[in-house]
Amino acid sequence: MAHIPDGVLSMPVLVGGGIVAAIGTAIALRRLDERTIPRAAIMAAGFFAVSLVAVPVGPSSVHLLMAGLMGLVIGVVAIPAVLVGLLLQAVLFGFGGLTTLGVNTANIALPGVLLAALFAPVIARAPANRAGLLGGLCGALSVAATGGGVALALALSDSTYVPSAKIILATYVPLMIGEGIITGFAIAFLKRVKPELLDIGWRHRAAEG
Amino acid sequence: MRLLLLALALLPIFASPAHAHRLKVFATVEDGAIDGYGFFIGGGRPQAATFIVQDGTGAELFRGRTDIEGGFTWRPDHGGDFVVVIDAGDGHVAQARIAASRFADYEGGIIAPALAGETADASAPVDSAAPDDLARMIDASVDRAVSRQIRPLLEAYEAADGKVRFNDVVGGIGMIVGLAGMAMWGLARRRERNQPPGGRA
Repeated sequence: MAHIPDGVLSMPVLVGGGIVAAIGTAIALRRLDERTIPRAAIMAAGFFAVSLVAVPVGPSSVHLLMAGLMGLVIGVVAIPAVLVGLLLQAVLFGFGGLTTLGVNTANIALPGVLLAALFAPVIARAPANRAGLLGGLCGALSVAATGGGVALALALSDSTYVPSAKIILATYVPLMIGEGIITGFAIAFLKRVKPELLDIGWRHRAAEG
Repeated sequence: MRLLLLALALLPIFASPAHAHRLKVFATVEDGAIDGYGFFIGGGRPQAATFIVQDGTGAELFRGRTDIEGGFTWRPDHGGDFVVVIDAGDGHVAQARIAASRFADYEGGIIAPALAGETADASAPVDSAAPDDLARMIDASVDRAVSRQIRPLLEAYEAADGKVRFNDVVGGIGMIVGLAGMAMWGLARRRERNQPPGGRA
């Protein structure tokens, strides 16, 4: 699903995804400090473990992506976190692929980062319950954007993939709901227990620019 | 830190029954036909997915669709290496290789007409051909019996191959922790270098 294996995508798509992931990683690495590193590691470990657990849905199966949560907690650092998680999944489990690492990183992490940039300021000011609702929305929309990115990557590689790209979007809907609920609960919980965790990824950026 | 402990505590819940979500192909040779199915390791079968047979050089020999159980059958008209590819169309592609040596009884089938021709035009006694036929029949039935018996074994192996193992998950997380440690170390070194000598606060 979001882990596109080797040998499916065309060269320009692979290179394009690689460039996006490399730029994102370069930006993120410059923002790393001793507060973000442990958080990024926890999020990367969480992403690595959680997205291995597949739940059967219909003819296929889905797994959580956690991109929205990662974007909200660690901001742009979600890109290298996802990259590391995907690299380990590809090497240890043959999950995804090494040549598609860039495309998959871009598809999974980028929506989370961009949507979190939109949602984070609002969530920072909202009370816990509304923050949870907004966080859930952020998580669900990230999944939808990931689905769109996967469909786009497939369609750009080979036009025969277009009809099946529609199928993917249909299978992403249950995942959007599940991801939205879990992200929502996680954000509401963090907002109550440790609210400073939620703006660290973004306060940093505001201080710089 | 508390979060890290929480994550570690939750880990076994995720890891023990976990399956990677990945498409795989199980393919075996039965009676000279390539038979098998595609399956998702997390559960589910790729229904009506594109099923392609390629020869050893990658040239396409056959293109069809899997049935409702993700299954397929294809009978080659000559021996050789084959690659079975299943493309679920949503970015899930998997393949399995069938080596020419798996078609032992099938090659027997190719040789058969030649032998029959020989015995027909030569004045060889009829009963000298019979043991050959018998040997072929025995070969074929042994092949069938063996493939029937080892099929569950091969299926179990393919299924186990993609399973997420707890050790690997813990190893991956250890790797991430190590990377974080390296990043912290790099950060500390950079900070030390940037600080004027003796000016450490």
